[in-house]
Amino acid sequence: MVLPLRQFGPVVALLLAVPAYASDGGIDPQDAGIDVAVDGQATIDDRGADAATMDDASPSAPDTGPSLPPSTASPASDVVVTAGRPISRDRTQDATFIQGERVRTCARSTLFEALAQETAGVYVPGRGIGLHGVANGATGGIKMRGLGGSPNTQILVVEDGVPDYQGIFGHPIPDAYVPALIGDALLVKGGDSTLFGSNAMGGVVVLRSRWPERNGYDVEMDAGYGSYATLRESVSLLGRAGAWDVTGAFTGMSTQGHRDGAGGSDMVGATAVRYRLSPGLRLVVRNKVAHVQGGDPGPVSTPTVDHWFDVWRDTASMQLVYTRRRLRLTLSPYLNVGVHRLYDGFYSHDYLGGATGELDLRLHRAATVLLGLAADGVDGQVENRVTGERPDVRGFTSVAVYGQASLRPLPGLSVVLGTRGLLSSAYGFVPLYKAGLRWDAGHGFFVRSRVARNFRQPTIRELYLPYPVANPELKPEYAINADVGVGYLSTHLEIQWAVYRTQARDLIKYFGAWPAAEVVNIDRIVIAGVEGRVAVRRLGPISAVLSGVWQDVGRYTRQNPDAKVDFMLEIAEDFGPHFLTANLSGEWVHGLFMADYERQPLSSVFVMDLALRYRYTRDAGDESSYRIEPYIFLRNFLDRRYAYVAGYTMPGLNLCVGLKVGI
Amino acid sequence: MLGSIHNTLLLFAVAALTLAGCDLGYPEVAIINRTTDTMLLKNPSFSGCVWNVVLAHGSATSPRRCLPGDDHVHFQRLNAESYCQGQAEDRTLPGICPCDGGLAEALNGVDADPDTSTQPMWFNYQTVSIKHADYGSFYLFEITLDDMEQDFSIPGPYGH
Repeated sequence: MVLPLRQFGPVVALLLAVPAYASDGGIDPQDAGIDVAVDGQATIDDRGADAATMDDASPSAPDTGPSLPPSTASPASDVVVTAGRPISRDRTQDATFIQGERVRTCARSTLFEALAQETAGVYVPGRGIGLHGVANGATGGIKMRGLGGSPNTQILVVEDGVPDYQGIFGHPIPDAYVPALIGDALLVKGGDSTLFGSNAMGGVVVLRSRWPERNGYDVEMDAGYGSYATLRESVSLLGRAGAWDVTGAFTGMSTQGHRDGAGGSDMVGATAVRYRLSPGLRLVVRNKVAHVQGGDPGPVSTPTVDHWFDVWRDTASMQLVYTRRRLRLTLSPYLNVGVHRLYDGFYSHDYLGGATGELDLRLHRAATVLLGLAADGVDGQVENRVTGERPDVRGFTSVAVYGQASLRPLPGLSVVLGTRGLLSSAYGFVPLYKAGLRWDAGHGFFVRSRVARNFRQPTIRELYLPYPVANPELKPEYAINADVGVGYLSTHLEIQWAVYRTQARDLIKYFGAWPAAEVVNIDRIVIAGVEGRVAVRRLGPISAVLSGVWQDVGRYTRQNPDAKVDFMLEIAEDFGPHFLTANLSGEWVHGLFMADYERQPLSSVFVMDLALRYRYTRDAGDESSYRIEPYIFLRNFLDRRYAYVAGYTMPGLNLCVGLKVGI
Repeated sequence: MLGSIHNTLLLFAVAALTLAGCDLGYPEVAIINRTTDTMLLKNPSFSGCVWNVVLAHGSATSPRRCLPGDDHVHFQRLNAESYCQGQAEDRTLPGICPCDGGLAEALNGVDADPDTSTQPMWFNYQTVSIKHADYGSFYLFEITLDDMEQDFSIPGPYGH
């Protein structure tokens, strides 16, 4: 591993660069983009030109996400604070910020499951180890506030500013992410179609990748082996040389699965290059390729064999950013293409392409305006290579203009107003809006509220693909999400509580089974719930998080649980260069049904995982520095029998032993 | 210090080899057809295992490791005697069928209905009893005539 690095010559600096270990679910200033330099020595922030020339992190605007204690961001007299852009652009929304390190070290086997472990407000079903799959038998749909799930089209995933969903199916591939590169994540509850457009109905998952923090190169290798012949390998590179930043990662996983037909593999490779053309101008080019193979094992009582799938996807994007003191201009074109093959002859190409342009303008110390223009289009081709069927598929496009004003009329009071006018080639003009309020009352106490009108246009699958049924007459879905929350944030304690109400109309639902199935818009539903979170951070070596949600989902109970509780207890301790941590986490899901109207109930899910890590760091400040980190995951260590989906029994006690090496 | 690192690595390597293979302790299960001479069973399955075979009377599947837990044994059933007699009655079998009781011979010379299907119908069945399998043991589950019922439990596909 050392030899290739020497090819980079003298610019190569082998870094230890051990990330501040996240022992809590809140925000560490480092991970929130705030870089503190003592004695006036400003450091280069990892977001480079994103640094807050618009005073994003000024003392009066510590907008680092929803959970940062204000005291954490208060500068001392001899400290200079610079900052990357906060991942959250709306202080009034209810959101959970997650450090990338937590995702990268989580015992859960996929990214979405790791995110669901962080907050009870997110429900993600699984079916085994490592793979969620596609089509029948797939899991990995995200549910927030009663929306999303199956199909997972009402929750939008945005990766580095680019919406990530398939052109035909309207949802992301849950197996196509690279945790090694994730810098941080934000779970926006209640959606935000004003900023993100279609699909951001019930929630938004915002993922942001890492960049190198200083000159030199940081290489990390993480390999693990575990039950069911499961092998994971991840290699990542972060490098900075002059005006160039480069990141790259490859993640591969293969498993035989915990039962017949549950095996498979995935490979994801991602690269990004950033070039600083001038102090205020930078260009970012990204590409991600994912290949996922596996199968639907079917219910345990009647397993299926050879119900395989084979998916290739590629996402390419570019970002040109111009930053001045009071403005920031961003232009982002993107293209997401995929090829899907299924065992029954299904074969499809799909495309999602678009571009966004945003102008972020600071008009006044107490007023910022975001103006945006977005255009996107989806299309695809479908055929069954066995039967020769070629369903007639028609793509559609949309153009949108949007704006958001963030005001601070009084100290501690934030007001956010936003609107979006969307013109769809299929559905005409769609008006969307949101309004939010947050009052930081001092000493860490705050009150917030927001209402947003969100929407989703039907997918090509729902409109045209008869698998099992389609309906070209479907109308878009609309939801009005409202919530009120209060909380207290301090260095060691976080308490948050929120009550929410989702009122949706024209939701698209499947009823019945083939050949009598139908997909239609239903009239109107109301989902109400309450969510809470208590976190104790770094009380000595101990951190703990407890979060819970209860909701009344009404008649549409299919994979829409009534209640969920997540908890985590962590003990972490440094002994000089040695670092030990033990992390106990668990999840309880209640009120699961496989059908609407509370039919086909499932037993409550209760599962606990244990992760043990040891890290040795040799920080010599030169090329001989390294870190080595063996770890072990004991998943479902109580060996409980449980299933999120009827017939798809999850594995019993299973283990993964791995080693991470960084130079 | 390097020695302690080597020891740590060795410890984890041993742990990986010993612990990661704990699924090898899954129960071994085999299914045997103890019905009648003319009863064929196809694709028996139990707790995540499926055997893509047809079992004649007295024959058994090979042992396989299945998920520990409780489940019925699910299978498809074909009564070859009933099938044969049905085909003879519908005059789809040319000549004499040895298992039709001479019915085909009596109907010899009469044309068969061209719409009559000759496809054998395999019906979904399961054992009435629930079988249990636990770690580290071998189980031979017998399928008998007095321990089977039609299986309507097969859930529909789940997708997202």
